[in-house]
Amino acid sequence: MLPIDAAAHSSRWRRRHPVDKAVLGLGLTVLAISLPPWPGAALVLVTALTVLLGPAAVPGRRLWRAWRVPLGFCVTGALPLLLQVGGPDGFVTLAEGGPVRAGELLLRTSAASLGVLLFAFTTPLSDLLPRLVNAGVPAPVVDVALVTYRMSFLLLDSVRRIREAQAARLGHTTRAAAWRSLAGLGATAFVRAFDRATRLQAGLAGRGYDGTLRVLVPQARISVRFTLASAALLAALAALTLVLERPLR
Amino acid sequence: MHIAEGFLPPAHAVAWGVASAPFVVHGVRSLTREVREHPESTLLIGASGAFTFVLSALKLPSVTGSCSHPTGTGLGAILFRPPIMAVLGTITLLFQALLLAHGGLTTLGANVFSMAIVGPWAGYAVYRLLRRFDVPLMVAVFFAAFVADLSTYCVTSVQLALAFPDPSSGFLGALGKFGSIFAVTQLPLAVSEGLLTVLVMRLLVQSSKGELTRLGVFLAKKQSRTETADATEAVAR
Repeated sequence: MLPIDAAAHSSRWRRRHPVDKAVLGLGLTVLAISLPPWPGAALVLVTALTVLLGPAAVPGRRLWRAWRVPLGFCVTGALPLLLQVGGPDGFVTLAEGGPVRAGELLLRTSAASLGVLLFAFTTPLSDLLPRLVNAGVPAPVVDVALVTYRMSFLLLDSVRRIREAQAARLGHTTRAAAWRSLAGLGATAFVRAFDRATRLQAGLAGRGYDGTLRVLVPQARISVRFTLASAALLAALAALTLVLERPLR
Repeated sequence: MHIAEGFLPPAHAVAWGVASAPFVVHGVRSLTREVREHPESTLLIGASGAFTFVLSALKLPSVTGSCSHPTGTGLGAILFRPPIMAVLGTITLLFQALLLAHGGLTTLGANVFSMAIVGPWAGYAVYRLLRRFDVPLMVAVFFAAFVADLSTYCVTSVQLALAFPDPSSGFLGALGKFGSIFAVTQLPLAVSEGLLTVLVMRLLVQSSKGELTRLGVFLAKKQSRTETADATEAVAR
């Protein structure tokens, strides 16, 4: 199981309805990209961190490991904003206001990422996917996504074992061997995926498979109190941003 | 290369979502039709999605000595066709956003457009074109993966340049900046992915000819020959 999903399964908010957590987590993300980066995204960032480490009780180390991935892209993506091309001072020069734009972008992106991480760290995909039918996603697509989700872990586990076996046979010692091993890994993953699908199909056919995959979904109710509190928090953040925006400028 | 969460302004995020929607809806219709006609396809397509997800998680040695991840769009388009890849790619990108914190939900539309639509369609177009001219399978596979990979990164550069135009030279200057950082550095990676895809396909031809025939990978060749024969007959008449 992948670290974020494993954490979601043991989350304190695991039993909450996904809608509750979507309103809060994705609401924070929408605020982060909609409000002015300063002070809006900064407020969202602090709020998301507080909720993640406080009420949601996400382990700090796990959160950092997940958060540093989008941060790496953001830093790389923000670098071009520091430069300008074809100005009067030369072909490539430092852009006026570039550091501010890059800083605002970093602030916005890191805050928005935390909003999604709040949702991801508290909501296992196995709780979310079956409920997508109620949101209007066609049932066959949800079924395919469910099979993809469950089979991904098996395949990732297979790939890890194959890689270990290849390493034990000195399959990564030279560049040529590494390429051969990698190609073998990709091909074996394909063969195993189809083999599993065929065996699963045979097993389900024996149980009267009619094309729909029925799965048990943990029962949960949308908490009006939690949702209203989340909406109030989001509204307060938006209002505070608008109040603070002028004096700070 | 995924555009991270919150990187695009709201208007751009919505616009790319709208641009991707028709392709994804078309893919969903194809998938729904396929699943209704052949219920057992759910498992096969789901397995294909898992394969795509795992393929994008493999670490790829770059020619420059660094390490990256293959996009898998070229191989996916050859194996499963671009409409299905639009759906599988969307599912994969959603999983990557929620399970790996790669990409994002607000940037899902933009990432789907580059990785699940343009990449697969460009790669598949090159593959079909080369096969039509009887270019050997492995050469066609290499160029399909190469073009799919490179077009994905080029589109990402365009998306970023549109969102963040250069203060002095506008869109073109920004495209040059993002292009030089993302697209040009991806050239060796595109070569690497092309080589890897050829190696994978070679092994698949040896070990899974049945599955490849079932997926119609060899059909394109047969079709082009049939079409050629039909055309010859028509000329003879």
